[in-house]
Amino acid sequence: MNNGILKKNATLIIGISIPILMIIFVAVSIYLPGLFVKPKFNFVYVTGNDYYYYSQYQYAVQNGKIVENEIKKPENRSYEPAREVRLYMHDVAANTNREITFEEARNMNLDSNIKSPDGFEIITGSHSGGFLFSGGSDYDTRYLTGNNISKKLDLRLVGSSYYNNFRFIGWIK
Amino acid sequence: MANKDEVLNEIRILAGQNAIGKEELIQAYDSGKGVRGDIALTKKLGVAEILYYIGGAVVFLGIMILLGQNWSTLGVAAKVMATLGSGIAAYFVGVLFNRDARTEAAGSAFFLISALVTPIGLWVIFDEAGFNANSFGMQTWISGILLAVFVSSYFVFKKNIFTLFSIIFATWMFFSFTGFLVAGAPHFNDWKFYMYRTLAVSTAYMLIGYSFSKNERVSLCWFLYGFGVLGFLGAALALGEWKPNQNVFWELIYPGLVFGALFTSVHIKSKAFLTWGTIFLMAYILKITAEYFSTGLGWPLALVIAGLAMIGAGYMSFSLKKKYLSA
Repeated sequence: MNNGILKKNATLIIGISIPILMIIFVAVSIYLPGLFVKPKFNFVYVTGNDYYYYSQYQYAVQNGKIVENEIKKPENRSYEPAREVRLYMHDVAANTNREITFEEARNMNLDSNIKSPDGFEIITGSHSGGFLFSGGSDYDTRYLTGNNISKKLDLRLVGSSYYNNFRFIGWIK
Repeated sequence: MANKDEVLNEIRILAGQNAIGKEELIQAYDSGKGVRGDIALTKKLGVAEILYYIGGAVVFLGIMILLGQNWSTLGVAAKVMATLGSGIAAYFVGVLFNRDARTEAAGSAFFLISALVTPIGLWVIFDEAGFNANSFGMQTWISGILLAVFVSSYFVFKKNIFTLFSIIFATWMFFSFTGFLVAGAPHFNDWKFYMYRTLAVSTAYMLIGYSFSKNERVSLCWFLYGFGVLGFLGAALALGEWKPNQNVFWELIYPGLVFGALFTSVHIKSKAFLTWGTIFLMAYILKITAEYFSTGLGWPLALVIAGLAMIGAGYMSFSLKKKYLSA
């Protein structure tokens, strides 16, 4: 009897199974690699907008060490906006942040490449909703991604989490 | 449709001629047992039924315009009453009308109103409760609740309108839930992932449509075949992308998929497969011409060749329709 019903509705069962199997496949391919691959390199970032006139940044990495640039104010600019620039170290294993001083950062060996030595990089999210109702954006969320996994980063950003309010400095070697 | 006496009389005649066996009769009885046909949808829609559904859609539009014009001035209770309240009320009116054969078709129109308004009502509830109702997570909940209600309703009332909206809500839930899964995984290419999901859903539509073509839900075939083949061929064409980022696999396999759709149209006697197969064959000819032949041959000659190929595709489609699909 059961075999008869299965045989009679085989096309229907296969049709309904395809989206269900895709959901299982997507879930497994997202969550399974995360169990085995762990990012190893912590990183330093700056928040509070350290960008000044004509592509001048307050902090940069030279020869594997953080340096503080001297900001040259153009002559025609008199007003200097108030800045609250802070340095943080992010622990990728615990997904936590610790504010560090410039002196602390100076003692660290940093790699300013976008990709970490173990193949991870920091990217922004895309969108978080849609289809029948209008979608929400996820552009101000950052992820640590690479080796077929992604981890949402919990960052300490000064003010809003607006996407300009974060700048990667370097991976701690 | 013949009445019971006429059917029994026909069986007696056929049995006397040995044209029908006892086993065939038992098989036909067993396959029909327990299936309550949807009177409003298993037969072809008449003018009255079409007007009922148009009326239902107009009522939905009226509610939406009323809400749109007064959204900022309406309180929470009024918004919920106007949306979820209307949806639930329309559902129960449908249930009441469904109890009488004379008003059963009109009942389906009220189920239509309920299916259109209730999603808005649930969105309002979640939004007013402080959730981000636009997020994939909340949309999974909304579509999941609707799917559960409409699938349950199908098993109670056996009406095709519940089958149709169960498929629509299941599709919505599939896209929302998979979107929710990959929201924390931006390494998934959004655009391509959308196309692969469309391929999966379209394949499911075509298979479900084929399954329905053999039972009392045959009236849903046009919807499932039409959207199924449109989504499948559209997504496969999009996955081929454009030079210099073209995907060779999808570009090479595409003619096979299109001709597969055309041959299937003959096998299952579907005009949707034939029409969309022909349109996408023409689109593929234009795409390949523009990508690979417009620079070497030059645009004018490439257009002439593409035009001739499209005339050929059109003629083939016309011949197939005339030979195999004309009633």
